[in-house]
Amino acid sequence: MAMKPEDALREIARVRGEAICVPTMTTAPGWRTIAPDDLSVTCVGFMGGASALGLGLALARPERRVLVFDGDGSLLMQLGSLATIAGAAPRNLVHFVFKNAVYHTSGAQAIPGGAGVDFVLMAKGAGYRMACAIADLAELRRRLPELLRAEGPVLVELATTLADATPMTAPGVPFGAQVQALREALLAG
Amino acid sequence: MPESIPASLIVDALKDTFREARAALAAEAPARRPPAEPLGWVLSVPDTHQRTVLAALDKERALRVVTCATEDEANAIAAGLYIGGEPYVVMIQHAGLYASVNTLRGVAIDGRVPVLYLIGLLGREKDRDPRDSRHSMVRYCEPLLDTFGVPHARLEGPDDVRLVPEYYRLAWQRRGPAALLVGLETS
Repeated sequence: MAMKPEDALREIARVRGEAICVPTMTTAPGWRTIAPDDLSVTCVGFMGGASALGLGLALARPERRVLVFDGDGSLLMQLGSLATIAGAAPRNLVHFVFKNAVYHTSGAQAIPGGAGVDFVLMAKGAGYRMACAIADLAELRRRLPELLRAEGPVLVELATTLADATPMTAPGVPFGAQVQALREALLAG
Repeated sequence: MPESIPASLIVDALKDTFREARAALAAEAPARRPPAEPLGWVLSVPDTHQRTVLAALDKERALRVVTCATEDEANAIAAGLYIGGEPYVVMIQHAGLYASVNTLRGVAIDGRVPVLYLIGLLGREKDRDPRDSRHSMVRYCEPLLDTFGVPHARLEGPDDVRLVPEYYRLAWQRRGPAALLVGLETS
């Protein structure tokens, strides 16, 4: 059974350790509530940029895990980033794709290709070291420790329902303020 | 009259710029031990105009090139490197600037991420000012940067490579975008 995004995020929060996290769109309000710390930066204001933002962080901070909480619609906007990430080959990047098959934020219109779009196949084709689909919360709970230890780049496609909130209903801190807060935290540590 | 700039001069200017940036970063974060390599990152969507620079960068161990599928990605990667405390530049073509203005706005302007862009003016005529070019891609570049309030200058010959560190510093001082327009194909 498809997961609620907030439940999946809670599972990840439980085991993330010191990983830097990059939510976007419908994972952003939930993540702010679940993990209100400053080792996260939300991709907001430049559509589809979460995966590349995560790549930059992963290259800059190879000693830390970087977890991207992408959306299926968001990733489709920058699908070439799969190849860019595979080419740069960051060993510390785990790229979660929350797949609900719609653009939830703009009114739940179906994404091009709908639920049939296979991000696992595309990630493997692009050259990710590992890619898998996870269908329910129990499987996510069981596999997370392995996925967070695996040599990246790793893509994990999560079958999810709609989130409780979107950036339209629960706007967050502006991107620039988040950038500075995370930069200061990382440079201090 | 503009002159072509040898690739080696631009590569050396990038190295000097990154050395200076590393020193500034070390002062900002004394506890952090920076990596021995790379000295800095070049985020590139390959540009015909600057292809000799890209060829020279291929042989450089000190600088790491990340070839991006789109200019949007280059901007977003820059944001990640900035947050993580690494120096970088973005090397693209004018068409790529047009393709990525929303990300430039979101990352470098609203997000206040410093980004120095090296932008190739493919098609720029040697005997005309770029603003009078017959080619719209050349003609609209500076007006577009003006519209977005991006400070910019032209690299019109070997002496202008001094602008690379100067505009890098400018981007970091104002925490925003700055652009250098490469007038003729590099040699």
